Amino acid sequence: MSEFDEPVPAPGEIVSTPGADVLVPSTTIRATAIPPTTPAETELSGVVQFSERKQARRENWRLIRRRPAFIVGVFIVLVWTSCAMLGDKITPHDPFKPSSSTHLSPSAKYPFGTDSIGRDVLSRVMVGARDVIKVAPLGALLGVLFGVIIGMVMGYFGGWLDNVLSRIVEAFLSLPVVLVALLAITTLGSSTWVVIGVVSALFTPVVARTVRSAVLAERDLDYVTSAKLRGESSAFVMFKEILPNVSGPIIVELTVRVGYAVFTVATLSFLGAGPQPPSPDWGVQVSDGFRVISASIWWTTFFPAAAIASLVIAVNLIADSVQSVLEAS
Amino acid sequence: MSAVSASRTTAALAVENLEVAYTVRGIDRAVLRGVSFSIAPGEAYGLVGESGCGKSTTAYAALRYLPRNGKIVRGRVLVGGDDVTGMNTSQLQRFRATEASMVYQDPAQAMNPSVKIGRQLIESFTLLGQSKPVAAKSALDALRRVRIADPVRVMDRYPFQLSGGMQQRVVIAMALACDPKLLVLDEPTTGLDATVEAEVLDLVRVLREESNAAVLLIAHNLGIIRSLCDRVGVMYAGRIVEEGPSHQVFDDPQHPYTVGLLRSLPRHGVRKTERALATIPGILPLIGTDLPTCVFVDRCPLADDLCRDEVPPAAPVGTEGLRFTRCHHPDRIHELVQAPPDVPIGILSSSGANPEVLELTHVSKTFRQRNVNIPALVDVNLQLAEGETLGIVGESGSGKSTLAKTILGIESADSGGAVSLDGHTVAPNTTGRSANDKRAMQMVFQNPDSALNRSWSVRRILMRSVEKLTGIKGDEANARVEALAAHLRLTPRHLDLKPRQLSGGLKQRVAIARAFAGDPRIVVCDEPTSALDVSVQAAILNLLADLQSEEKTSYVFITHDMGVVRYLADRIAVMYLGRIQEVGPTDDVFNGPNHPYTEALLSAIPSVDGEPTSRIRLEGEIPSPANPPSGCVFHPRCPRVIPGVCEVSEPPLREVAPGHAMRCHIPIEQLVELQRKPLTV
Repeated sequence: MSEFDEPVPAPGEIVSTPGADVLVPSTTIRATAIPPTTPAETELSGVVQFSERKQARRENWRLIRRRPAFIVGVFIVLVWTSCAMLGDKITPHDPFKPSSSTHLSPSAKYPFGTDSIGRDVLSRVMVGARDVIKVAPLGALLGVLFGVIIGMVMGYFGGWLDNVLSRIVEAFLSLPVVLVALLAITTLGSSTWVVIGVVSALFTPVVARTVRSAVLAERDLDYVTSAKLRGESSAFVMFKEILPNVSGPIIVELTVRVGYAVFTVATLSFLGAGPQPPSPDWGVQVSDGFRVISASIWWTTFFPAAAIASLVIAVNLIADSVQSVLEAS
Repeated sequence: MSAVSASRTTAALAVENLEVAYTVRGIDRAVLRGVSFSIAPGEAYGLVGESGCGKSTTAYAALRYLPRNGKIVRGRVLVGGDDVTGMNTSQLQRFRATEASMVYQDPAQAMNPSVKIGRQLIESFTLLGQSKPVAAKSALDALRRVRIADPVRVMDRYPFQLSGGMQQRVVIAMALACDPKLLVLDEPTTGLDATVEAEVLDLVRVLREESNAAVLLIAHNLGIIRSLCDRVGVMYAGRIVEEGPSHQVFDDPQHPYTVGLLRSLPRHGVRKTERALATIPGILPLIGTDLPTCVFVDRCPLADDLCRDEVPPAAPVGTEGLRFTRCHHPDRIHELVQAPPDVPIGILSSSGANPEVLELTHVSKTFRQRNVNIPALVDVNLQLAEGETLGIVGESGSGKSTLAKTILGIESADSGGAVSLDGHTVAPNTTGRSANDKRAMQMVFQNPDSALNRSWSVRRILMRSVEKLTGIKGDEANARVEALAAHLRLTPRHLDLKPRQLSGGLKQRVAIARAFAGDPRIVVCDEPTSALDVSVQAAILNLLADLQSEEKTSYVFITHDMGVVRYLADRIAVMYLGRIQEVGPTDDVFNGPNHPYTEALLSAIPSVDGEPTSRIRLEGEIPSPANPPSGCVFHPRCPRVIPGVCEVSEPPLREVAPGHAMRCHIPIEQLVELQRKPLTV
């Protein structure tokens, strides 16, 4: 009997699917930047093959790193993170100490000016990221975690369970975010953990819906049927079989949610549900300075607000880069 | 019918030394390596070859419709004398609107799902400058032209309300709107049932006679090419390696690749008990590979140094100047054509001698949708012996897959029926079945891409099945995985790869290995080779037959390919609307007498051997199972219907010969008589 050995394409090589011929989608150009491997090389080194997934991940990582948007985003995030961590060690003035020089406009000594009780706005903006940088990612992470679990259950089981959960999720989504958050925080107190909990609870339904639709596309694939045929539990199928295949949208969701979380947390502290004065939190500062803005004292509001905006934009730049690279691969 | 190559200026399509490359990761990779052919007006030209050989690229290049990363590196494409390669955007637009049309594989994707058929059709006429009322009339005429019954009503429907065959007719109607000089058909019937496929092919044949359009047909099914095309070009790795009149090329191939393709098909009624199928050793070169050689050299049994050093020129075959082959050794082809050694794959004793493994008694399955009962399986009784293959055939919607799922417990059978394994009744649902019962029944799916978890390595896929099904753990399980892989001719290297790094055939091997992880008694195969190329299909069929003779596994083999089922199956069950219409030993089913439905199925297959088949056309579509016809469910489409009898009562499944039963009112003697002479409807 004549035997044949079938090919192992080089890493990242396009395996044409039957019927599709070799119409290589143009997106693959972006997706992979592996130097071409000749078939001979591939045949010889099993190592290349073995580390293929790692290599794909490395390649994706390299593609992400090459994007200017990603570099700018990471740079801004790093600046705010180091400011928050180093705190008063690097601030030009004591961010908490009042002085007699109140409401000074930006100058060489006080580049961002001073506030109503004479504190340096620059120093306060620098340390003002402390809360946000902790609370936003944690809140987003927890929100994604719960969202994944709920979305997975909705998508996988479907039927009445999906119906019930979908209605609950929709009900949640129809409530005004800020109102719910304020209500929760005024009832439960404004500790950091409550804010994290509130942010995660706000995001869970949104994430659940995204995950649900990704799971819906997977659950009817034959590998799931095959798992059922060998008697796997639903939990195994959901989290060991399906989860790795929907990780792309989940990672994208996570990065996008961090950006929203920054915004939400800042909004909450602006409304007084969160850190309280004299905290230098950006939201608190904006809310402080907001009162005097009509007297043309713009800098106490502008700089912390710009800080919030820069962090949100930075996180979104990162999210965009991650998304476009992951979606292309 | 002109088989003479037309000259450049008069040809409907002339492709001259076309080279196309795709830019992948910044590097241009050659896909077409100098393709030349021409099609005369009114002529049909077929391109065949394995997937990845450049057939579709050629078709797309002919309309300058390459994907964004594709480009024409060299060569020219002339349609009706106009150089397509040199056209600017507006010329190209006009050219595509008026000169050439394309019909794609999936008609559903070629239409806008949210626009009614009528509007879409009218649009293709208004684009040609017709006024709305004129276009509306043209649209109706176009539907009549493609023989759509009740065109007025069809105009008012959405694409999803039409069956696949109807959709493809509409797409063909749109393609013909501009009365093109060139009609490109890219696998136009691949997604359709054999009976519908036959109808669409008939239509194309008739339309060809009516219009003077040249047809370029891309198909992987050699039978379709033979039945439709005057000439055929066999493509391999971006070159046409052999060209000539279809019947000559298929009856007397002159290139080793053509020989290989034809030999890997299960033809001439060959059975697994007679010989293994021939395969083509080796693999298609990757795109972009530099090939200053014969493109087929790595897989050719005749290859020598000359083949490795020089591109073979097109050597004429015969004296008429109609054929050529790009082979350095056309004089040695006969060495290949000689019949392969008749090595049977294991001798399997006839079904009666072996113990029964599976029995279905009165199995029905009724789905409930929006408070309507939809009987998908109706009173199915079947037996399967150890080491036996039961082929299940029928059009889509006949209940084949539901039967498979019900056997496996993916769908639970209605109460009242029973699935018995080795004499004991098993739970209707997988979750209710014992570990042993689960282990005993496994499945091989149609599409290995969907059947294997793409984020798991092959080792993990097999390991999990071994552990879960046999209870073996750790090193022992690993040893078993490796033994299993070796058995399926997978190398240890393959074990650490992800499915997407494997070719289609290798993926299917992994899927088969997984099914065999726990020494199953029964493996249900749902069209396991329909997504594969013929040479790979041959290897998979050989493998399945080998495994069966070694392990005494029984197969339930679902397929729509009559050649495949004839090769592999010991018995065949023909299903229609959830009922078994005929069941019997393979030879009996193929030799007849048959149930009229089987007769129609058998006659619908376009044969690569061009045997004269009297075609039975099935009118209409499978009725909805929710509202089955009265009496014999097949009577509305049956060409041999007895009025006053068939619509009144459903015939029982009657035994007409030992082991051969069918559900038909016509007395068997009469059927024998009727089927002796060809039926023309």
